Amino acid sequence: MRDVLYLAWRYLVYHRLKTAILVTSIMLIIYLPIGLNVVVEQSAEHLRARAGATPLLVGAKGSPLELALNSLYFSSEHPELIDYSEATMVADSGLADAIPLYVRFRSRTHPIVGTSLDYFSFHDLRFAFGRPMAVLGECVVGATVAESLGVNPGDTVISSPETVFDLAGVYPLKMKVAGVLERAFTPDDDAIFVDVKTAWIIEGLGHGHQDLTRPEAASGVLRRSEENIVANASVVQYNEITEDNVDSFHFHGDLADYPLTAVLVVPRNEKSGIILRGRYTDDDATSQIVRPVTVIDELLDTILTIQQFIVAAVIIAGLATIATAALVFMLSLRLRRREIDTMLKIGGSRLRVTSMLLAEVVIVVILSSSLAAVLTLVTWRFGPRIIESFVLT
Amino acid sequence: MKLLAMLAGVLIVAACTKEKQASEDTEALRYSPRVYTVNYPLAYFAERIAGESVKVVFPVPPDVDPAFWSPDAEAIADYQQADLVLLNGAGYAGWLQRATLSQSRLIDTSSALADQLIPLDDTITHSHGPGGDHSHQGMAFTSWLDMKFAAGQARAVFDALVRLRPENEPNYRERWHELQQDLGELDTRLKVVAERIGDQPLVFSHPVFQYLARAYKLSGRSVHWEPHETPDNDQWRELFKLLSAHNAAWMIWENEPLRDTVSQLEGMGIESLVFRPCGNRPAEGNFVSVMLDNVMALERAFPVSAL
Repeated sequence: MRDVLYLAWRYLVYHRLKTAILVTSIMLIIYLPIGLNVVVEQSAEHLRARAGATPLLVGAKGSPLELALNSLYFSSEHPELIDYSEATMVADSGLADAIPLYVRFRSRTHPIVGTSLDYFSFHDLRFAFGRPMAVLGECVVGATVAESLGVNPGDTVISSPETVFDLAGVYPLKMKVAGVLERAFTPDDDAIFVDVKTAWIIEGLGHGHQDLTRPEAASGVLRRSEENIVANASVVQYNEITEDNVDSFHFHGDLADYPLTAVLVVPRNEKSGIILRGRYTDDDATSQIVRPVTVIDELLDTILTIQQFIVAAVIIAGLATIATAALVFMLSLRLRRREIDTMLKIGGSRLRVTSMLLAEVVIVVILSSSLAAVLTLVTWRFGPRIIESFVLT
Repeated sequence: MKLLAMLAGVLIVAACTKEKQASEDTEALRYSPRVYTVNYPLAYFAERIAGESVKVVFPVPPDVDPAFWSPDAEAIADYQQADLVLLNGAGYAGWLQRATLSQSRLIDTSSALADQLIPLDDTITHSHGPGGDHSHQGMAFTSWLDMKFAAGQARAVFDALVRLRPENEPNYRERWHELQQDLGELDTRLKVVAERIGDQPLVFSHPVFQYLARAYKLSGRSVHWEPHETPDNDQWRELFKLLSAHNAAWMIWENEPLRDTVSQLEGMGIESLVFRPCGNRPAEGNFVSVMLDNVMALERAFPVSAL
């Protein structure tokens, strides 16, 4: 038997190009439907787990998918904004806890999530080092951020401008890292968490500067009357919040009118959730309430439909490939007629020659299947990350 | 021998029971909810209503005005650990705007009375950049000097404590009623003495008596004097200017003023009396006793015979 296998193997090695093409074709035919299935199932599980853990989201009327993707996975496109008063309204209803979310800014590629301390307890996020943010300008970073930026408590990270052309926009804010989260294997690992008020400062809605009523600020005053002081361009707004200047930071107007991208709503019980959802059914309402799990299910349904089309196409292509492979073997037998005759003439039995030819086919199939298995394993390991990057960016 | 063994058994069981009880007590103490407050009146209300069932913490140092206290990150971290944080509202304790606290644990005790807050009117606006004019205007925040307002805040404290410890509601309700009674009596006595004061002009040493003046219809105007500082020439000029239109015979101080200042005021025909807002924990007594002292000071200054 070993001699049969040896001869089959030597034949395949000698015709390595033909063998490689055959192995690749069969490997792809085996891998594509299985790998696609693995990717879709894993990603579906991953997406559903995060969505299922988030009971309700309140956001501006518009695309529920954009709202869910931005709030759950911090995708770069932010939905229309709502007022902070939406969060207060939910909390004041006594039906649910409201966790504000303002996911708009980034530090390099990492999303800056403006929220409250309740976010950490809601997602059961634990601290590897340090503590939660306590004052304006402090942040907490996820495990991936800490690794990729090499930051620890006491270090700083800087917010990035929204666009490179935003020359007249707000200054980047230098934020002090107060704590690092343990790895949670969720999008939280890649995020930088700040108090929602710090996010408003990044936007320029809150700021700190010299007290213009004091004599030492005279050089920064353009015009002064009894009731109003107009500052000139020399008044520098602080771009880092320190112990010395934190008291000068302030917000103008009513915080209730300040922007949020969403409110994460945690109803006290099922009934409270239903009552709350009933309050957003008015057609004239400017905000909507969505169940993230429903939104993600709809997205997954779309993905599954596409998957079914792709699998059908792959099966058809697979049948064609198998037919082609069979043809290749049959043609190869014709081309090898003289070789086979020689083997028979020098004493090889018909059974052994047939076994050798079959061994060639079996080796090709085993090689293809093994490679397909390796590729499936790789897909299983990195698939969710790949599909997330496709879906969320 | 058998008797001895039985006795030993009984003793062991008794000891175990006692140990278990002690352990349960320690557990209860360890897990008693912590209620943090931003000023003393709210701490007093919480202590009166909840008694020993919760741990009320008011961490502001005694020599600091809680309204202007600026806690460090560690102190804020303590607030973050609280089960409940009682806020005064009306922009009291500006540090709250710069701190990160769990929204679900914050209770604004004046939110139900928001329409009764008094906006400050002596604010300078400023503008820089494209944002237009803006001011750092706020509200008057010594709201508890209006005893009805204080009772409303006590109600909010009661509601919050009941939500925190629903099993204690009957006890809390009883103690809250007692507190309401005390505040009601103070309110009645203040109204009576305020009637005697009528529309006599008064000067307040500091703009912290807005709610007192409104609730009891006192005709008061404020200057910006500190009790422990000698007023400078500008401050005297400010007072003369005020007196020209508002001929007050009494100045109401938030704390014991300097002897020299009192004498100088007496020389001008202005008497001094102390009405402590009691924003911070008093060295002696409690919120009600301090308010009672305040009322008695007013009653002495404006006795029945003065009618």
